[in-house]
Amino acid sequence: MIRKEILEDVIFKTIKKSSCCIPKDVHSALKKAIKSAETETEKDAFSNLLKSLDISIERENLACPDTGWPLFFYKIGNEADIEGGILELEEISRKMVTKATKEGYLRSTMKHPLTGYDPGGNVGLNVPYFDYKFVPGKDIQVTYVAKGGGSECFGGTRYRMIAFADGITGIEKFIVDSYIAATRAGAICPPGILGIGIGGTANIAANIAKEAACLRLIGTHHPEPMIAEIETDLYKALNKLGIGIMGSGEGPSVLAVNVEYAYTHIAGIAVATSSNCCVSRRATAKINDNGKIEELDNPDWFERGQ
Amino acid sequence: MAKYYLQVPLKEEDIKKIRIGDLVYFSGEAFTCRSRLHRYIFDEKNVLPFSTKEKNLLIHVGPVIIKENNKWKLVSFMPTSSIRFEKWGAKSIKEWGLKAIVGKTTMGEETAAAMKENICIHATPQCVSPNLWLDSIEIKDVYLFDELGTIEAAWQLHLNNLGPFLVDMDSEGNNYFDSIDAIVEENRKKAYKALQIPEDFKYTKLY
Repeated sequence: MIRKEILEDVIFKTIKKSSCCIPKDVHSALKKAIKSAETETEKDAFSNLLKSLDISIERENLACPDTGWPLFFYKIGNEADIEGGILELEEISRKMVTKATKEGYLRSTMKHPLTGYDPGGNVGLNVPYFDYKFVPGKDIQVTYVAKGGGSECFGGTRYRMIAFADGITGIEKFIVDSYIAATRAGAICPPGILGIGIGGTANIAANIAKEAACLRLIGTHHPEPMIAEIETDLYKALNKLGIGIMGSGEGPSVLAVNVEYAYTHIAGIAVATSSNCCVSRRATAKINDNGKIEELDNPDWFERGQ
Repeated sequence: MAKYYLQVPLKEEDIKKIRIGDLVYFSGEAFTCRSRLHRYIFDEKNVLPFSTKEKNLLIHVGPVIIKENNKWKLVSFMPTSSIRFEKWGAKSIKEWGLKAIVGKTTMGEETAAAMKENICIHATPQCVSPNLWLDSIEIKDVYLFDELGTIEAAWQLHLNNLGPFLVDMDSEGNNYFDSIDAIVEENRKKAYKALQIPEDFKYTKLY
């Protein structure tokens, strides 16, 4: 059985790690950006970004003060035995979000949408958000994503229904135009990680776009060659835009383009984009049935072993 | 591109010289402000409980500040998107006598006009590097903490060469990002071409 005390400990540490320690794949991508910088301004900007991120890892303080929306992505083993069940898992998650906020590992950012009331612990109606994937086995895996407000609020997340007649051309035009609009003056903190969801209902498309942006590692591709090719084409095309770090015109425009799809109704193709900022935050840990804990670099959300 | 090390209170003659693309650093007094404070003052008709006369630098930021051993400790500091308070931008420049605003992104036309009229600039961070600024900022005091909460309160700061920030709006009405927009607009055609999207492509209207 997976005990409550272990859950509390692991969930808290995962939230803290997400806020303070940039994932390894993002770290490597930024290092690469410094290496391939073409101007001193570009090099300085990426170097200062990475320097600040490294200090956060060392001092265990926030990589960015905007710790955004608290999002939990749980993989639950089909035979997992959780003390108190899933309801307890959610209750502990909420408590740990509040604890992390009180201790300065999350900023108190979640408010009532109309009154502005700030409960002070980032917990309220429908927040934090929980997403589940059920997998074989007895383990559970927690991934915490601190989803920044910049990348979410300023057009980083968009949706459009495309006619079958417009197909991939319509889809790609929507993506290019959305990304340009969202990155103006550095709004979504580019170069971002762009997640694309194609197909499904509007919310399915938006969900898989978010998962693509937040849970896939930079450098991975969709296993289907047609989709992988769309990722590569879009990555190359968007990097022709000259948006640069914080919209300054210096350096790459996008760090990765990750595409996921769902089967759709014959009437139309939903397309959603979800951007994550250059300070993308994510941390994952796996809890074994016998209490063994393993920190993971890759949530492998889509169960591809990559 | 020039570098300016500015002292608050900011003087009109110093601000006048600065152009888009320049880098600026600030020393002296400043205050933090987010939309909740703007609304509290301008819409809900409250009075700002401190004078901005000698403190004419607004930083648009929601800092993370905790109390440690009965003293305020700054944990994280990253200016945030100023376009959000465009509604109150011109008003704050005029009524508070601001000479500079530091915030992410940029601001709109109404604020640009007020900047031209009142000699004021907007400057933006070149990257997300909150840790590199912590040592340049001292927390002196806070106003409206109980009313607005820790992020939206008006923190009173003392700065020691806080920067560099890129000047994206100057007192002549220029905007740095307009020049980037023009480049990106040209590049949009290259991206379309790479993806074989016709420039005159029109979506089928579904609704």
